Amino acid sequence: MATGTQSGASIWTTRWTTLTLVLFPVGIAINFVGKYVAQALKLPLWLDSIGTVLAAFIAGPLVGALTGAINNIIYGLTVDPVSFWYFITSVGIGLVAGVMARLGFIRSTARAIIAGVVVALVATVVSFPINIYLWGGQTGNVWGDALFTALTLRGVPLWLASFLDELVVDLLDKVLTVLIAFGLFKALPRRLLSQFELGEGELRRTA
Amino acid sequence: MRPVGLYVERRSPLHALDPISKLVYAVCLALVPFVAGDLRVAFVVIVGNVVLLAIGRVLREGLIALAGVGFFLVTLFVVQGMVYPGNVTPLVRIGPLVLYLEGLAYALWLTARFVNLTLSAFVLLFTTRPADLVEELVQAGLPPRVGYVLLSVLQIIPSMAARISVIQDAQRSRGMETEGPVWVRVRALLPVLGPLVISSLVAMQERALALEVRGFGAPGPRTSYRLPWRHRLAWPARLAAVSALLLALIWRLAR
Repeated sequence: MATGTQSGASIWTTRWTTLTLVLFPVGIAINFVGKYVAQALKLPLWLDSIGTVLAAFIAGPLVGALTGAINNIIYGLTVDPVSFWYFITSVGIGLVAGVMARLGFIRSTARAIIAGVVVALVATVVSFPINIYLWGGQTGNVWGDALFTALTLRGVPLWLASFLDELVVDLLDKVLTVLIAFGLFKALPRRLLSQFELGEGELRRTA
Repeated sequence: MRPVGLYVERRSPLHALDPISKLVYAVCLALVPFVAGDLRVAFVVIVGNVVLLAIGRVLREGLIALAGVGFFLVTLFVVQGMVYPGNVTPLVRIGPLVLYLEGLAYALWLTARFVNLTLSAFVLLFTTRPADLVEELVQAGLPPRVGYVLLSVLQIIPSMAARISVIQDAQRSRGMETEGPVWVRVRALLPVLGPLVISSLVAMQERALALEVRGFGAPGPRTSYRLPWRHRLAWPARLAAVSALLLALIWRLAR
């Protein structure tokens, strides 16, 4: 299964090994733990995509996207059926986090914050139409929904209010998520990361 | 932290039905109101789901789980009652806030759809062990690798949860602050996640080796330890679920 070192590695190149396969469940479990910790600490955030982002940092955008997809499938099949609707959001988060990582946005904390903002924007763009369809534009987050109500009552169009409702929560949530994943990624042993690296060019870009 | 999933160990006709039939049921019936686009249809399906949950002897657990999102549903009524774009008829006045009839009706429709989606899924989730469902899906043709990923999530999460409390106890015993204002709680988050995630990822390497040694990556078909789950009502149940969805479509088109 291992494809070995490739000279023409692109952003999308992925090493499909057994190690890649066992990364999915670990990533999903990390998502679960993040969500649990956020709930246990009563943080007004989700923090439920740390594992997806970390998997994307480690093994690239396709692995990130698949981690997100499987995450929502398993979550929908065990705990919360609504998570099926947000399947696309998770895929988008993993994909974008992986692309940003391969483009060199996890070389410093400042760049990681930019990556977090981009991930937040993508997550928002993908989520808010689903929010409008399912909930008339609300997100279920108290801060976001308060903003949504205030804006709509002042005559702001529904789609814009809904977009901002999702964005206020996502911006903080995803920047924090990416920063946590970035911190964890930096702390990982080189021996582990080297097994996911593609070649010389890739090594320089992500290390 | 409870084990993953909502499954309740009981004996009931629903527990005895095969997981795939229940999956087909849950998917079809959850979609019926979306397809039919009619509040009355949604109510009929909700009643049907409540009856099924009662047959499965998990109605109480189901309603308790549903009550967890009660607060969000209340905000749905309040917010939509105020801001729904089609609002024209004022109904209730609370101080400066006005709730409109159209918005409340819209919130009722959204709520009915959501409650039905959740209850349909509960018919599956409360009466089916997640591992049984994945096993059956693999036997029905889901690639074994995907099956492995799904199943191992269910196994890894409880073991990680156990490790969280060990790490937190260790940190608390060294005098780390884990309670207090929001920023203290945020700061307490990283020290737990660090050791947990890194040790899990390192353990992941060992798991990959263990799997390889046992021929995980080997080509060729897989055999199963378990016999396929047979139930005499499996096909009638699946057919009924699919025809309910088709009826919903006809209902939508005929109106």
